[in-house]
Amino acid sequence: MSRAVWKGPFVDGYLLDKADKAQSGATRGAIKTWSRRSTIMPQFVGLTFQVHNGKQFIPVSVSEDMVGHKLGEFAPTRNYYGHGADKKAKRR
Amino acid sequence: MARIAGVNIPTQKRVVVALQYIHGIGPYFAKEICGKVGITEDRRVNQLTDSEVLQIREAIDRDYTVEGDLRRDTAQNIKRLMDLGCYRGLRHRRGLPVRGQRTHTNARTRKGPAKPIAGKKK
Repeated sequence: MSRAVWKGPFVDGYLLDKADKAQSGATRGAIKTWSRRSTIMPQFVGLTFQVHNGKQFIPVSVSEDMVGHKLGEFAPTRNYYGHGADKKAKRR
Repeated sequence: MARIAGVNIPTQKRVVVALQYIHGIGPYFAKEICGKVGITEDRRVNQLTDSEVLQIREAIDRDYTVEGDLRRDTAQNIKRLMDLGCYRGLRHRRGLPVRGQRTHTNARTRKGPAKPIAGKKK
């Protein structure tokens, strides 16, 4: 079931503040975050986030198409390199 | 012989049923179209007058995405996900279930026929 519209999109509050700062050019570099559950807002477009996948931070540069998705969707938590016998190793 | 929305030529069936041969029109839309044009449930395609066929054709052209257009829209939506690099896109790329289903067993619709694994015997 999808989220009720009257609640609005979910974003961790601190991310909005940080995004505002980054957009105005006050801070440099990517925003490190563990908040995979946050929705990507229109004001995030053009920024780079470092999204934690449980082990490392995955760089995610936000484009316009990504608005409405969650940050976590762009930092896969599992890496599958295929079975030992398989000749072709896969997944990026 | 009635040609509606490009290629579809369903005949001899009831109009409500025949319309469902068009990709993108199911029971609900078929009924809706018949209602709009004013065709009763029990009319068959070969009993339709030319003007009624025309009306149906116009109604579909105007209000519904159907056949090639619909397929293109769907393909584009999937392609968008794949280009985005999001989780759902990755699943589409690898031909695995997209909505969190298990893949330990089953998932044969997405994965295709089972591939035999050498040396695995019971």
